[in-house]
Amino acid sequence: MTEVVTKTELDEAFAMFYGMAASIKDLASPEPEMTEAERVGAAKGVFLKAIDAEMATQLDACVKCGACAQACQYSIGTNDPKYTPVRKLELLKRVYDRELSPLRWLKRLYTPDLTEADLRAHQELVYDACTMCGRCNLVCPSGINIADMVALNRSALAAAGLMPAELRFMQEGQEADGTIFGADEDLFLYRIQDLQERLGFEIPLDKEKADVLLVTSGLDIHLFRDATGGAIEALQHMGVDYTLRTDGYEGANFGLLSGHDGTKKKLTNHLVDVAIKTGVKVVIVPECGHSYPALRFYGAEAHGGAIPFEVMTVSEYFGRAVMEGRLKLEKDAERRVVALHDPCKVGRWGGVFEEPRAIIEAIGWELHETESNRAYNFCCGGGAGNFLIESADQLKRTGYRIKMNEIEQTGAKSIVVSCGSCRMNFEVGKVKAGDTIPVESLAALIAAHLPKDKGAKA
Amino acid sequence: MIRRQQPLSERLEARGISRRSFLKFCTTTASLLALSPALAPRIAEALESPRRPSVIWLSFQECTGCSESILRAGAPSIESLIFEAISLDYHETLQAAAGHQAEAAREQAMAENAGGYILVVDGSVPLGNAGFSTVAGQSNLDTLKAAAAGAAAIICMGTCSAFGGIPYANPNPTGAVPVSEIITDKPIVNVPGCPPIPAVMTSVIAHYITFGTLPELDHLGRPKVFYGQNIHDRCYRRPFYERGQFAETFDDEGAKAGWCLYKLGCKGPTTYNACAVLKWNDGTSFPIEAGHGCLGCSEPNFWDGGSFYKPLSQGTEIGGKTLIAAGVAGIAGGVAAGVANRAKQKTLRAPKPEAKKEDKA
Amino acid sequence: MSLLDFARGPALEWAAVVFMVGMLWRIGGLTLMLRNKVLSKDRTPEPWKGGLRTMFTRFSPAPVFRRKVAFQYIAGWVWHLGFVLVVFFFQLHIQFFKGIVGFGWPALPNGMIVAMGAVSLAVLITLLIRRMLNPVLRMISSFDDYASTVITALPFATGLMAFAHIGLAYETMLALHFLSVALLLVWFPFSKLFHVFTVLPSRYALGVKFWRKGVKV
Repeated sequence: MTEVVTKTELDEAFAMFYGMAASIKDLASPEPEMTEAERVGAAKGVFLKAIDAEMATQLDACVKCGACAQACQYSIGTNDPKYTPVRKLELLKRVYDRELSPLRWLKRLYTPDLTEADLRAHQELVYDACTMCGRCNLVCPSGINIADMVALNRSALAAAGLMPAELRFMQEGQEADGTIFGADEDLFLYRIQDLQERLGFEIPLDKEKADVLLVTSGLDIHLFRDATGGAIEALQHMGVDYTLRTDGYEGANFGLLSGHDGTKKKLTNHLVDVAIKTGVKVVIVPECGHSYPALRFYGAEAHGGAIPFEVMTVSEYFGRAVMEGRLKLEKDAERRVVALHDPCKVGRWGGVFEEPRAIIEAIGWELHETESNRAYNFCCGGGAGNFLIESADQLKRTGYRIKMNEIEQTGAKSIVVSCGSCRMNFEVGKVKAGDTIPVESLAALIAAHLPKDKGAKA
Repeated sequence: MIRRQQPLSERLEARGISRRSFLKFCTTTASLLALSPALAPRIAEALESPRRPSVIWLSFQECTGCSESILRAGAPSIESLIFEAISLDYHETLQAAAGHQAEAAREQAMAENAGGYILVVDGSVPLGNAGFSTVAGQSNLDTLKAAAAGAAAIICMGTCSAFGGIPYANPNPTGAVPVSEIITDKPIVNVPGCPPIPAVMTSVIAHYITFGTLPELDHLGRPKVFYGQNIHDRCYRRPFYERGQFAETFDDEGAKAGWCLYKLGCKGPTTYNACAVLKWNDGTSFPIEAGHGCLGCSEPNFWDGGSFYKPLSQGTEIGGKTLIAAGVAGIAGGVAAGVANRAKQKTLRAPKPEAKKEDKA
Repeated sequence: MSLLDFARGPALEWAAVVFMVGMLWRIGGLTLMLRNKVLSKDRTPEPWKGGLRTMFTRFSPAPVFRRKVAFQYIAGWVWHLGFVLVVFFFQLHIQFFKGIVGFGWPALPNGMIVAMGAVSLAVLITLLIRRMLNPVLRMISSFDDYASTVITALPFATGLMAFAHIGLAYETMLALHFLSVALLLVWFPFSKLFHVFTVLPSRYALGVKFWRKGVKV
């Protein structure tokens, strides 16, 4: 692979990025001023619109068995019962009981109404202490979709003006111009230019029509350039008719992460429109967990109907190419023992498991699965935008420790991951914990093992 | 009148009953009353006493079954000896006198023994129209009150006088009530059964004659010694109950093998009487042994306690019809609740009024 | 009317009516609600297969969770199995149902039923104590959770005592047994015991959701 970023550059970028992320809280606009009635009304409105037959059945299916606490990394790591996942649904359940349950006439008599204090107390539970990873969904004997209902809680709190400052900053930024971390058009073009020079070929940009649209993210533009660079190099090698677009390069969706439904829809729709305009058959979202469900499983909903293109994540696109023989990779000189982290939004919530494994096998590395793997893996500890939330620091470290323990048990020499947010969490966690295990981007690895003779065609 | 002066020994001889048999009766009675055998002579002495206590037997809304039981009209037996020890001054079925003569004899006996006679009652008392049961122009209620006023104690023979019995059963057209609901200021012992066991009846009388007191009673006024245990605990078929072997119909293999009759409605577990121990017809048999479940005839409301053939484990009023009706109501309610919910959801999901205003403008 | 007559008669009848109406009300109210539509393309076709699958896989925990939740899963299995077998396969209960629907079915031996009833009761009591002592359960439990356990345990306790003729007089224990069942019936539709009807549909919904994403859980 062509080196698109040196270690020194990466370290510098990391330090700068980390500093920038740490200052977000101070840069955020103040919490919106709303009366208690407005906040409560807004939150309840969000809940009540979203509750349907399925959600109602699920809310009525909880038998308070407490198993969810045995799956959640924050519960396990802190041993604090307040983080028991089903507690995160308490406000939603109260609203349902009082207003939409078939027994509301009875439940109203003993179920307390929501207050602003309730909403504020709930912030920690649905932001800091939850990455909506969904592991609790898998242990629940009733099969309750706690994670998605936590997402609904984020929407409710956002409507009530109570999202964390850091996420409000990001959401407002993306609502205004769609960018994150100041990765605007200029910086994007600068990065493309930089990559072009290092890669040694012209990167197709703003084609009117193409087969594939590659999307990137502010995180990659600033920091993980090996991820985007790797994807570009691999696409180029395969001879794919692809393009990046200046009017549609940001895959991250802080509307989704913060719970701001308006911004979420706007950002997804924007990418959908660009993809339709460009007439692509496939949109490849970057190594970024939530960008996958934001488009793959929400694109049609936002658009209001079926979307005329497929959505794949980087690991999925290239992994499938490897599995179908369209992409040949060279074996690495070393048969390294590695661990693979399945990002929650791509693995458990996306179904992309075998593709990254096919890539690791193709490059001749030995994968040692963590005890919890594939759909059952542990979250990196800082997903869902939590890596920006300052108050979640202790919890992130707790999540990191649990994940890292499993990785250490595999005897792996590196962690392979295909998500910038997870990668970021591992790097920060490593610094704070004093760990040194290298973290590799899957996209970068693909590019690093492309055959030298460029024989493989798309 | 003449009989009163004849010594007991002579009267027994006249009937062909030896003194040995008489003493055996006294010992048996002591045993039945759970008394020490040493008290048998006392019973004999009391029964032999020339002084024979007056007994007034009033019959109200009854079938005469209790009298039949105590007499065992088909076969005279040793229990009828009791009649030698008492002066039965009034008994409508047994007395020779009739009409005004009989009533006069009763009133005379009541006057002469005021405060000391035993009043025996069988049959329930109608509180509805007195015409339901009137003797000699006087309602049962008035007769009872008058007779009870001078009685030393009242023995209610049979379930009718003890608890209301069959006349009391739904819909109780005569307004029948037990004696204890009318007389509240005299010692009353209930000897229920439909009819009661003969030896039980005679033992209670014998106890009173001997000791001048009533035996220990349970919360329903029944002598504990006879009504303190339920049939189930003394039933010879109990092992089959425990093993779960039940007759399912009256003529199936289980019935022929003498298995437990619980499933055929036997009320043994909730019935307190001495049938399983003493049995009937001099210990010949009792209903369960004959292959029919216990009816519970010594218990209040036995007639209204659900069918005789409905086992205790079944509900008495719950049935397919009720549940189907409830089901229909429930489905209607469920649909209503669902429709209401849908409507509410649609309202919640409707576009905001501001948008609508814009449309109008 | 004696306590037993009341318990076997009107008490049970009205309780059954409340049960039927309550359950159907709640089921109808839930089933007929609007359902959110999914527009995105499914990764795996025929999502109902995923629904069915998850309905059954959740009867036992996935391997990674086993060590942590084995106890509660096993206890739950023992309790539920015991409950179903005792209620529906005890001779005298079958007689009860026969009185309502007109037909019975084969029964299990009394000895087995008594043993299972006792074990089920013991499990319930153990789980109740666990709920009172375990910090997670204490935090998430409400009156409904405690009451449901007690109200479910009462028929077991009274039934065992009545059948074995221990405790109060038989007619009283039997009356209490009927009354405890009446209480259970009345409590059922309005409490967490209603989960009988929500657990499987809930699992189905989750199974469908994950199947659409190509994930088999």
